[in-house]
Amino acid sequence: MMIRKTDFIFQTQLAEETLEVWLAEEWLLPEEDQQDFIFTEADIARARLISSLINDFGVNNEGVGIILSLIDQMHSLRKAVAGKLEQGPK
Amino acid sequence: MKDPYEVLGVPRTANTADIRKAYRQLAKKFHPDLHPGNKAFEERFKEVSMANDLLSDEAKRKRFDSGEIDASGAEKPQQQYYKDYAARSSTGSPYENPSGFQDFADTDDVFAKLFRQQERQARRRRGADLHYRLSVDFVDSVLGATRRLTLPDGGTLDVTIPAGIVEGQALRLKGKGEPSPGEGPPGDALVEISILPHRFFTRVGDDIHVELPISLKEAVLGAKVRVPTPGGAVMLTIPKGSNTGSIMRLKGKGVARRNGSGDEIVKLKVVLPPESDHELERFMAQWGEGANYDPRKGMQS
Repeated sequence: MMIRKTDFIFQTQLAEETLEVWLAEEWLLPEEDQQDFIFTEADIARARLISSLINDFGVNNEGVGIILSLIDQMHSLRKAVAGKLEQGPK
Repeated sequence: MKDPYEVLGVPRTANTADIRKAYRQLAKKFHPDLHPGNKAFEERFKEVSMANDLLSDEAKRKRFDSGEIDASGAEKPQQQYYKDYAARSSTGSPYENPSGFQDFADTDDVFAKLFRQQERQARRRRGADLHYRLSVDFVDSVLGATRRLTLPDGGTLDVTIPAGIVEGQALRLKGKGEPSPGEGPPGDALVEISILPHRFFTRVGDDIHVELPISLKEAVLGAKVRVPTPGGAVMLTIPKGSNTGSIMRLKGKGVARRNGSGDEIVKLKVVLPPESDHELERFMAQWGEGANYDPRKGMQS
């Protein structure tokens, strides 16, 4: 599903300036076409996670970057291992 | 349903700040995105956030305390966590980050093979698809055409529009998308077609509909008239006594299809001269039969 910037802001209830900062920090990496960003539902869930980190857990901006990087590494690793388990031994 | 005070571990007299603090502590500990593999934590987190939703809302808390609603009163639709998407995404997510295990690839055990394979896959990843929109004339959409698309970067792309394309159809141009970030093939260009409306043709399935104005004389006496079709004008014989709304079918003059073409459906419309005509008026006044004919007979009640 394609989610444009205005929809994204509406669904996540983020301020536009906040989104600009998150994009600049590369916490969110939406695709882009000529006119606009194209977000996915995964990006919405990711934005919700970032909001929780900042608003519920009191993580500051430096911390958010580190946590996201570790989460991304963890998911890549989880996927690699899961793929291996699916293939079975040998 | 568990008691929300118990879930958060606060006394019933706790104030808003206590509740918020307790929630933060527990949420930090159990947040599913920080423990994607732990189902039990996810359940705990659900309880914790439900308890918090209930107790952090003064009005809801009062109603709960007075027994008006139970602990499930604050239940909200199940949230999708980021981990659910991250787990589902295929190779090629922009958030992928193999830094956590890249070094394994240098050794030579089973895992090393696996990780090398992952790396290779990432390298072989194809480029992203690019999306474009192209408006085509109605006639081109019926007959097919070649159109040149100017890209935002100044380049061009020749698009062959097949005959009979429909509104919203996307054409895939292999290899015309973004180059691969590694050594993989480039992505594709996807061109979505929108069809501009025509002055007098409309399309219904594979048939072309057109309304053809004819004169009173042609209607009464019959005639041979030129009718436009997307492929060029053809002659059509209008039988004597044709009426507005009469339908004629031009076989095979519709949208071309591999298994036979659609037709052009011609709907006649009798049109009087734009300016009143004395001769015609005089004739009508004398026309005895005309006075006896009532086209609205069927409408009388």
